Amino acid sequence: MSEIKIAAEPRDTFGKGAARQLRRDGKIPAVLYGHKQEPVHLALPEHDLFLALKTPNVLLNLDIVGGKSELAIPKAVSKDPVKRTLEHVDLLLVRRGEKVTVDVPVVTAGEIAPGGLLELVLTSLSVEAEATHIPASFEVSIEGLEEGSQITAGAVPLPSGVTLVTDAEAVVVHVLTPAATLVEEESAEGEAEAGAEAEAE
Amino acid sequence: MLIPRRVKHRKQHHPERGGASKGGNELNFGEYGIQALSPAYVTNRQIESARIAINRHIRRGGKVWIQIFPDRPLTKKPAETRMGSGKGSPEWWVANVKPGRVLFELSYPNEKVAREALLRAAHKLPCKCRIIKREAGDI
Repeated sequence: MSEIKIAAEPRDTFGKGAARQLRRDGKIPAVLYGHKQEPVHLALPEHDLFLALKTPNVLLNLDIVGGKSELAIPKAVSKDPVKRTLEHVDLLLVRRGEKVTVDVPVVTAGEIAPGGLLELVLTSLSVEAEATHIPASFEVSIEGLEEGSQITAGAVPLPSGVTLVTDAEAVVVHVLTPAATLVEEESAEGEAEAGAEAEAE
Repeated sequence: MLIPRRVKHRKQHHPERGGASKGGNELNFGEYGIQALSPAYVTNRQIESARIAINRHIRRGGKVWIQIFPDRPLTKKPAETRMGSGKGSPEWWVANVKPGRVLFELSYPNEKVAREALLRAAHKLPCKCRIIKREAGDI
Protein backbone atom coordinates (compact mmCIF):
# COMPACT_ATOMS: atom_id res chain seq x y z
CA MET A 1 0.00 0.00 0.00
CA SER A 2 1.37 3.41 -0.89
CA GLU A 3 1.90 6.14 1.68
CA ILE A 4 -0.10 9.34 1.63
CA LYS A 5 1.75 12.43 2.70
CA ILE A 6 -0.21 14.85 4.88
CA ALA A 7 0.97 18.09 6.41
CA ALA A 8 0.31 18.20 10.16
CA GLU A 9 0.48 21.07 12.59
CA PRO A 10 1.04 20.54 16.29
CA ARG A 11 -1.73 22.07 18.41
CA ASP A 12 -1.64 23.31 21.96
CA THR A 13 -5.27 24.31 22.46
CA PHE A 14 -7.66 21.66 23.68
CA GLY A 15 -11.32 21.24 24.55
CA LYS A 16 -14.50 21.54 22.52
CA GLY A 17 -14.15 25.27 21.87
CA ALA A 18 -10.68 24.92 20.36
CA ALA A 19 -11.71 21.78 18.45
CA ARG A 20 -14.71 23.57 16.94
CA GLN A 21 -12.55 26.53 15.94
CA LEU A 22 -10.17 24.11 14.19
CA ARG A 23 -13.05 22.50 12.31
CA ARG A 24 -14.33 25.92 11.24
CA ASP A 25 -10.83 26.57 9.85
CA GLY A 26 -11.02 23.39 7.75
CA LYS A 27 -8.82 21.28 10.01
CA ILE A 28 -9.47 18.14 12.00
CA PRO A 29 -8.09 17.58 15.51
CA ALA A 30 -6.06 14.40 15.80
CA VAL A 31 -3.87 12.63 18.31
CA LEU A 32 -0.82 10.52 17.51
CA TYR A 33 0.31 7.87 19.98
CA GLY A 34 2.16 4.57 20.22
CA HIS A 35 5.57 3.09 21.01
CA LYS A 36 5.22 4.26 24.64
CA GLN A 37 5.81 7.86 23.55
CA GLU A 38 3.97 10.89 24.86
CA PRO A 39 0.85 11.54 22.76
CA VAL A 40 1.23 14.31 20.18
CA HIS A 41 -1.81 16.49 19.45
CA LEU A 42 -2.12 17.51 15.81
CA ALA A 43 -4.34 19.41 13.41
CA LEU A 44 -4.74 17.86 9.95
CA PRO A 45 -6.23 19.36 6.77
CA GLU A 46 -9.82 18.12 6.51
CA HIS A 47 -10.11 17.52 2.77
CA ASP A 48 -6.78 15.71 2.40
CA LEU A 49 -7.56 13.53 5.40
CA PHE A 50 -11.08 12.79 4.14
CA LEU A 51 -9.70 11.60 0.79
CA ALA A 52 -6.93 9.59 2.46
CA LEU A 53 -9.33 7.81 4.82
CA LYS A 54 -11.36 6.49 1.90
CA THR A 55 -8.75 3.71 1.82
CA PRO A 56 -9.11 1.50 4.89
CA ASN A 57 -5.97 1.25 7.07
CA VAL A 58 -4.21 3.85 4.93
CA LEU A 59 -0.56 4.50 5.77
CA LEU A 60 -0.14 8.21 6.47
CA ASN A 61 3.20 9.96 6.25
CA LEU A 62 2.72 12.89 8.61
CA ASP A 63 4.91 15.86 7.85
CA ILE A 64 4.78 17.62 11.21
CA VAL A 65 5.58 21.32 11.04
CA GLY A 66 8.65 22.06 13.14
CA GLY A 67 9.27 18.37 13.78
CA LYS A 68 10.17 15.16 12.04
CA SER A 69 7.89 13.15 9.77
CA GLU A 70 6.16 10.11 11.23
CA LEU A 71 4.32 7.10 9.82
CA ALA A 72 0.88 6.38 11.23
CA ILE A 73 -2.26 4.37 10.56
CA PRO A 74 -5.78 5.41 11.63
CA LYS A 75 -6.82 3.68 14.83
CA ALA A 76 -10.22 5.30 15.44
CA VAL A 77 -12.15 7.76 13.30
CA SER A 78 -15.10 9.65 14.76
CA LYS A 79 -17.60 11.06 12.29
CA ASP A 80 -20.79 13.08 12.57
CA PRO A 81 -23.57 10.45 12.45
CA VAL A 82 -25.74 12.48 10.05
CA LYS A 83 -23.38 14.67 8.01
CA ARG A 84 -20.63 12.01 7.88
CA THR A 85 -17.97 14.70 8.27
CA LEU A 86 -14.80 13.94 10.20
CA GLU A 87 -14.68 15.08 13.82
CA HIS A 88 -11.53 13.53 15.26
CA VAL A 89 -8.94 10.94 14.35
CA ASP A 90 -6.77 8.74 16.55
CA LEU A 91 -3.52 7.83 14.78
CA LEU A 92 -1.25 4.95 15.74
CA LEU A 93 2.45 5.51 15.35
CA VAL A 94 4.12 2.75 13.30
CA ARG A 95 7.64 1.98 12.10
CA ARG A 96 8.74 0.42 8.83
CA GLY A 97 8.83 -3.36 9.15
CA GLU A 98 6.71 -3.36 12.30
CA LYS A 99 3.76 -5.75 12.46
CA VAL A 100 0.35 -4.40 13.41
CA THR A 101 -3.06 -5.98 13.95
CA VAL A 102 -5.71 -4.39 11.74
CA ASP A 103 -9.20 -5.12 10.41
CA VAL A 104 -9.18 -5.53 6.63
CA PRO A 105 -12.49 -5.47 4.69
CA VAL A 106 -13.74 -8.55 2.85
CA VAL A 107 -14.93 -8.12 -0.75
CA THR A 108 -16.84 -10.80 -2.62
CA ALA A 109 -16.19 -11.61 -6.27
CA GLY A 110 -18.40 -13.53 -8.68
CA GLU A 111 -22.00 -14.70 -8.55
CA ILE A 112 -23.48 -17.43 -6.40
CA ALA A 113 -25.53 -20.26 -7.90
CA PRO A 114 -29.06 -19.05 -8.75
CA GLY A 115 -31.67 -19.47 -6.04
CA GLY A 116 -29.48 -18.83 -3.02
CA LEU A 117 -29.10 -15.74 -0.86
CA LEU A 118 -25.60 -14.62 0.02
CA GLU A 119 -25.01 -13.48 3.59
CA LEU A 120 -21.76 -11.73 4.42
CA VAL A 121 -21.31 -12.67 8.07
CA LEU A 122 -17.90 -11.07 8.60
CA THR A 123 -17.38 -7.80 6.77
CA SER A 124 -13.75 -7.63 7.86
CA LEU A 125 -11.01 -9.97 9.01
CA SER A 126 -8.56 -9.18 11.77
CA VAL A 127 -5.03 -9.87 10.53
CA GLU A 128 -1.46 -9.20 11.53
CA ALA A 129 0.54 -7.55 8.77
CA GLU A 130 3.53 -5.35 8.20
CA ALA A 131 2.48 -1.72 8.69
CA THR A 132 3.83 -0.75 5.28
CA HIS A 133 2.18 -3.69 3.49
CA ILE A 134 -1.38 -3.82 4.79
CA PRO A 135 -3.71 -5.28 2.13
CA ALA A 136 -6.53 -2.97 1.04
CA SER A 137 -9.07 -5.82 1.05
CA PHE A 138 -9.43 -9.59 0.83
CA GLU A 139 -11.23 -10.93 -2.20
CA VAL A 140 -13.40 -13.97 -1.55
CA SER A 141 -14.57 -15.83 -4.63
CA ILE A 142 -18.21 -16.88 -4.32
CA GLU A 143 -18.54 -18.04 -7.93
CA GLY A 144 -21.09 -20.84 -8.15
CA LEU A 145 -21.46 -21.24 -4.37
CA GLU A 146 -24.39 -23.58 -3.69
CA GLU A 147 -27.13 -23.14 -1.08
CA GLY A 148 -26.00 -24.18 2.39
CA SER A 149 -22.30 -23.84 1.58
CA GLN A 150 -20.01 -21.49 3.43
CA ILE A 151 -16.49 -20.06 3.40
CA THR A 152 -14.58 -19.83 6.66
CA ALA A 153 -11.88 -17.31 7.58
CA GLY A 154 -9.21 -19.99 7.25
CA ALA A 155 -10.19 -20.56 3.60
CA VAL A 156 -9.70 -16.92 2.58
CA PRO A 157 -6.47 -16.58 0.58
CA LEU A 158 -4.05 -14.23 2.35
CA PRO A 159 -1.02 -12.51 0.79
CA SER A 160 2.42 -13.54 2.02
CA GLY A 161 3.49 -11.91 5.27
CA VAL A 162 -0.09 -11.65 6.53
CA THR A 163 -1.31 -13.90 9.33
CA LEU A 164 -4.90 -14.39 10.40
CA VAL A 165 -5.92 -13.26 13.89
CA THR A 166 -9.65 -13.99 13.52
CA ASP A 167 -10.67 -17.56 14.41
CA ALA A 168 -9.99 -19.71 11.33
CA GLU A 169 -13.28 -21.54 11.87
CA ALA A 170 -15.34 -18.32 11.80
CA VAL A 171 -17.80 -18.18 8.90
CA VAL A 172 -17.14 -15.28 6.51
CA VAL A 173 -19.87 -15.86 3.92
CA HIS A 174 -22.59 -18.42 3.60
CA VAL A 175 -25.43 -19.01 1.21
CA LEU A 176 -28.90 -19.18 2.73
CA THR A 177 -31.90 -20.99 1.32
CA PRO A 178 -34.50 -18.33 0.51
CA ALA A 179 -37.37 -20.78 1.05
CA ALA A 180 -36.40 -21.08 4.72
CA THR A 181 -36.25 -17.29 4.98
CA LEU A 182 -39.73 -17.01 3.50
CA VAL A 183 -41.21 -19.54 5.94
CA GLU A 184 -39.59 -17.64 8.81
CA GLU A 185 -41.07 -14.36 7.60
CA GLU A 186 -44.52 -15.81 7.10
CA SER A 187 -44.53 -17.33 10.58
CA ALA A 188 -43.35 -14.01 12.02
CA GLU A 189 -46.14 -12.20 10.18
CA GLY A 190 -48.64 -14.79 11.38
CA GLU A 191 -47.52 -14.28 14.96
CA ALA A 192 -47.73 -10.53 14.57
CA GLU A 193 -51.26 -10.71 13.23
CA ALA A 194 -52.29 -13.11 16.01
CA GLY A 195 -50.75 -10.76 18.56
CA ALA A 196 -52.62 -7.78 17.13
CA GLU A 197 -55.88 -9.71 17.22
CA ALA A 198 -55.32 -10.76 20.82
CA GLU A 199 -54.57 -7.16 21.74
CA ALA A 200 -57.72 -5.94 20.01
CA GLU A 201 -59.79 -8.45 22.01
CA MET B 1 -45.45 -6.95 17.48
CA LEU B 2 -42.29 -6.12 19.41
CA ILE B 3 -42.84 -5.63 23.13
CA PRO B 4 -40.57 -6.14 26.16
CA ARG B 5 -41.09 -9.43 27.99
CA ARG B 6 -40.91 -7.76 31.42
CA VAL B 7 -40.05 -4.28 32.61
CA LYS B 8 -38.75 -2.90 35.89
CA HIS B 9 -41.08 0.11 35.86
CA ARG B 10 -44.44 -0.01 34.08
CA LYS B 11 -44.68 3.78 33.64
CA GLN B 12 -41.67 5.88 32.78
CA HIS B 13 -40.86 9.50 32.09
CA HIS B 14 -40.72 10.56 28.45
CA PRO B 15 -37.42 9.54 26.80
CA GLU B 16 -34.84 12.27 26.06
CA ARG B 17 -35.37 13.71 22.56
CA GLY B 18 -32.25 15.84 22.15
CA GLY B 19 -28.89 15.09 20.58
CA ALA B 20 -27.65 12.68 17.95
CA SER B 21 -27.40 8.92 18.10
CA LYS B 22 -24.29 7.66 19.89
CA GLY B 23 -24.26 4.12 18.54
CA GLY B 24 -25.87 1.94 15.91
CA ASN B 25 -25.04 4.48 13.21
CA GLU B 26 -23.43 2.06 10.76
CA LEU B 27 -24.56 -0.94 8.75
CA ASN B 28 -23.55 -4.11 10.57
CA PHE B 29 -25.31 -6.94 8.77
CA GLY B 30 -27.08 -5.96 5.58
CA GLU B 31 -25.96 -4.17 2.46
CA TYR B 32 -28.64 -1.47 2.58
CA GLY B 33 -30.32 0.29 5.45
CA ILE B 34 -32.66 3.05 6.62
CA GLN B 35 -30.99 5.78 8.65
CA ALA B 36 -32.98 8.29 10.69
CA LEU B 37 -32.27 11.98 10.07
CA SER B 38 -34.57 13.43 12.70
CA PRO B 39 -35.55 12.40 16.23
CA ALA B 40 -38.73 10.36 16.71
CA TYR B 41 -40.58 7.96 18.95
CA VAL B 42 -41.06 4.94 16.67
CA THR B 43 -43.88 2.74 17.93
CA ASN B 44 -43.92 -1.04 17.70
CA ARG B 45 -46.83 -0.79 15.24
CA GLN B 46 -44.79 1.43 12.93
CA ILE B 47 -41.83 -0.95 13.13
CA GLU B 48 -44.07 -3.89 12.29
CA SER B 49 -45.73 -1.99 9.45
CA ALA B 50 -42.33 -1.08 7.97
CA ARG B 51 -41.10 -4.66 8.30
CA ILE B 52 -44.17 -6.01 6.51
CA ALA B 53 -43.77 -3.36 3.77
CA ILE B 54 -40.20 -4.56 3.13
CA ASN B 55 -41.08 -8.26 3.20
CA ARG B 56 -44.08 -7.83 0.87
CA HIS B 57 -41.96 -5.92 -1.65
CA ILE B 58 -38.93 -8.20 -1.72
CA ARG B 59 -41.18 -11.30 -1.52
CA ARG B 60 -38.29 -13.76 -1.09
CA GLY B 61 -34.56 -13.93 -1.50
CA GLY B 62 -33.70 -11.25 1.05
CA LYS B 63 -33.01 -10.87 4.74
CA VAL B 64 -34.17 -8.07 7.03
CA TRP B 65 -32.68 -6.96 10.34
CA ILE B 66 -34.55 -4.65 12.73
CA GLN B 67 -31.98 -2.60 14.63
CA ILE B 68 -34.29 -0.81 17.06
CA PHE B 69 -36.46 -2.15 19.86
CA PRO B 70 -39.49 -0.38 21.38
CA ASP B 71 -38.48 -0.61 25.04
CA ARG B 72 -39.96 2.66 26.36
CA PRO B 73 -43.63 2.88 27.43
CA LEU B 74 -45.62 6.04 26.82
CA THR B 75 -48.77 6.65 28.83
CA LYS B 76 -52.03 8.41 28.02
CA LYS B 77 -54.86 9.67 30.17
CA PRO B 78 -58.38 8.72 29.06
CA ALA B 79 -60.37 11.33 27.13
CA GLU B 80 -62.39 13.90 29.08
CA THR B 81 -60.63 13.20 32.37
CA ARG B 82 -59.86 15.88 34.94
CA MET B 83 -56.21 16.53 35.62
CA GLY B 84 -54.60 14.78 38.57
CA SER B 85 -55.41 11.31 39.93
CA GLY B 86 -52.07 9.93 38.93
CA LYS B 87 -50.30 9.04 35.70
CA GLY B 88 -52.28 7.60 32.79
CA SER B 89 -52.10 4.01 31.65
CA PRO B 90 -49.42 2.70 29.25
CA GLU B 91 -50.64 3.20 25.70
CA TRP B 92 -47.66 2.77 23.36
CA TRP B 93 -44.29 1.09 23.28
CA VAL B 94 -41.73 3.21 21.46
CA ALA B 95 -38.09 3.15 20.42
CA ASN B 96 -36.37 6.46 21.12
CA VAL B 97 -34.70 7.16 17.77
CA LYS B 98 -32.17 9.93 17.34
CA PRO B 99 -30.61 11.30 14.14
CA GLY B 100 -28.02 8.97 12.65
CA ARG B 101 -29.53 5.75 13.95
CA VAL B 102 -29.83 2.84 11.51
CA LEU B 103 -33.36 1.45 11.89
CA PHE B 104 -33.52 -1.41 9.40
CA GLU B 105 -30.92 -3.33 7.44
CA LEU B 106 -31.59 -5.34 4.33
CA SER B 107 -29.60 -7.83 2.32
CA TYR B 108 -30.94 -8.35 -1.19
CA PRO B 109 -29.24 -9.12 -4.52
CA ASN B 110 -31.02 -6.44 -6.58
CA GLU B 111 -30.23 -2.85 -5.55
CA LYS B 112 -33.24 -1.28 -7.28
CA VAL B 113 -35.74 -3.58 -5.55
CA ALA B 114 -33.93 -3.19 -2.23
CA ARG B 115 -34.13 0.61 -2.42
CA GLU B 116 -37.83 0.47 -3.40
CA ALA B 117 -38.56 -1.82 -0.45
CA LEU B 118 -36.73 0.44 2.00
CA LEU B 119 -38.45 3.52 0.61
CA ARG B 120 -41.83 1.90 1.23
CA ALA B 121 -40.73 1.13 4.79
CA ALA B 122 -39.44 4.68 5.30
CA HIS B 123 -42.90 6.01 4.45
CA LYS B 124 -44.29 4.09 7.45
CA LEU B 125 -41.87 5.74 9.86
CA PRO B 126 -42.45 9.00 11.73
CA CYS B 127 -39.04 10.53 11.01
CA LYS B 128 -37.03 11.84 8.10
CA CYS B 129 -34.98 8.98 6.74
CA ARG B 130 -32.40 8.21 4.10
CA ILE B 131 -31.40 4.96 2.48
CA ILE B 132 -27.76 4.04 2.93
CA LYS B 133 -25.59 1.46 1.21
CA ARG B 134 -22.45 -0.27 2.41
CA GLU B 135 -19.44 1.17 0.58
CA ALA B 136 -16.53 -0.98 -0.57
CA GLY B 137 -14.05 0.38 2.00
CA ASP B 138 -16.44 0.39 4.99
CA ILE B 139 -15.46 -1.75 7.92
